[in-house]
Amino acid sequence: MTHTLHRAGQPESLKDDFVVFAMSAKMVNAEGSGEKMKRFIEIVERYRPINFGDMKTGNIYNITREEIYKDVQDTSIVHFVFADRKVVAKIIKDLEQARLGISVVISGLIDETDRICEQVGLQMHTVEYSGGIFGQIKHLPEQPILDIMTMCGHGMVAKRLVREMVKQVEAKKMTVAEAAMELAKPCQCGVFNTKRAEKLIEDMIGIRP
Amino acid sequence: MWIDPKTCIGCGKCVPYCPMDAILLHQKDKQTGQKPYAEIDQDECVECYTCLRAQVCPTESIREQQLQWPRIVRRSFSDPLYVHKGTGVPGRGTEEMKTNDVTGRFREGFIGIGLEFGRPGMGTRLSEPEKAIKKLLALGVELEPLNPLTQLIADKATGRLKFDIRSEKVLSAIVECIVPINKTPAVLAAIKELALEVKTVFSLDLICKVGSGKKIPLLEISEAAGLTLSSNGKVNLGLGRPLCQGN
Repeated sequence: MTHTLHRAGQPESLKDDFVVFAMSAKMVNAEGSGEKMKRFIEIVERYRPINFGDMKTGNIYNITREEIYKDVQDTSIVHFVFADRKVVAKIIKDLEQARLGISVVISGLIDETDRICEQVGLQMHTVEYSGGIFGQIKHLPEQPILDIMTMCGHGMVAKRLVREMVKQVEAKKMTVAEAAMELAKPCQCGVFNTKRAEKLIEDMIGIRP
Repeated sequence: MWIDPKTCIGCGKCVPYCPMDAILLHQKDKQTGQKPYAEIDQDECVECYTCLRAQVCPTESIREQQLQWPRIVRRSFSDPLYVHKGTGVPGRGTEEMKTNDVTGRFREGFIGIGLEFGRPGMGTRLSEPEKAIKKLLALGVELEPLNPLTQLIADKATGRLKFDIRSEKVLSAIVECIVPINKTPAVLAAIKELALEVKTVFSLDLICKVGSGKKIPLLEISEAAGLTLSSNGKVNLGLGRPLCQGN
């Protein structure tokens, strides 16, 4: 599943949106890779991610870090979300030096990821682009809603929930941060960027400074 | 999923969490005295379990049901925690490019193509991706054998899916294939035609291995096909090795 592809939005908004994740290949190097995955977590979480999760157990807005770490298996896919390219560059450097042997993928602006790779002495191995949305696009929600809901590639963040959270913030029943956290909960994998969601909600209701 | 009408108090807290808008809220009926309650439209529900996991029901009235064939297909394509029996992994597709540095699945000279039906946010009946499968097979394209949708094909020559699953609704289903570069323009043209025929939406995934000198053949091919690629996407860093031990 290309669950971190197709994140909609303008480059200005997407430039602060990176997902770093790792996985083993089921039929090649999965056996015994759980310990490598735990090491991956230890390396990456030092950089204070915005979100963090494993599809099989949940994300930090639903369960604790300890539960995620404890339940890591050979076939786990653990994801971290960051906003700062400099931090991502440091992480890649650390991962390169750690030589874990499991696959590491970065989702973000591809040119930016390419620059980061160059900076740390790597070359991109394989790339995946979104070629757009086709078919009955007239039924899609308005762009800011789409920008938020597509941060969960499995489609678990409902458009109606985004509207409801915006309504709650406008009515001052929730803070922007609380609304973003509520939106992050259904996204089990932990790839939902709450900081970006906060900015998008603020834009929607015109409260950005 | 279903909501127990005996215990539901009709507060509506679960309603916005449904990605398919399948939870209906019935108001109090003054004539019959029926109290307000929420109900899940079984035809629209994709069994993604989001409503249950949201844990917002104050009376715990949202309930699981024992899913039988063919309804179980809804869950396998909609609940990311559900492990497909055929692939042995959760999610709706394969490892695709995520482990390409280890598997070598996408080699130079080939383009990976994925059509994610129902994404974003609309969902799809399985008869919609079937249209893509038929079109691709007619072009002589080989579909990804490990993909869970490929495993539901009843007729490998035509691409007809098992009859009893065609009307099942799912959150999304991916058609995956790998195409030689020289065949890619024809496949992309067919995909653009398909866009006019489907009753839902689909998102297009395009994958290629980065060549020497950082050459990305996909950029040229997409431009020639009139496609605008996203500025964001996924990059496999090439840090994976075939065996973990000793690396």
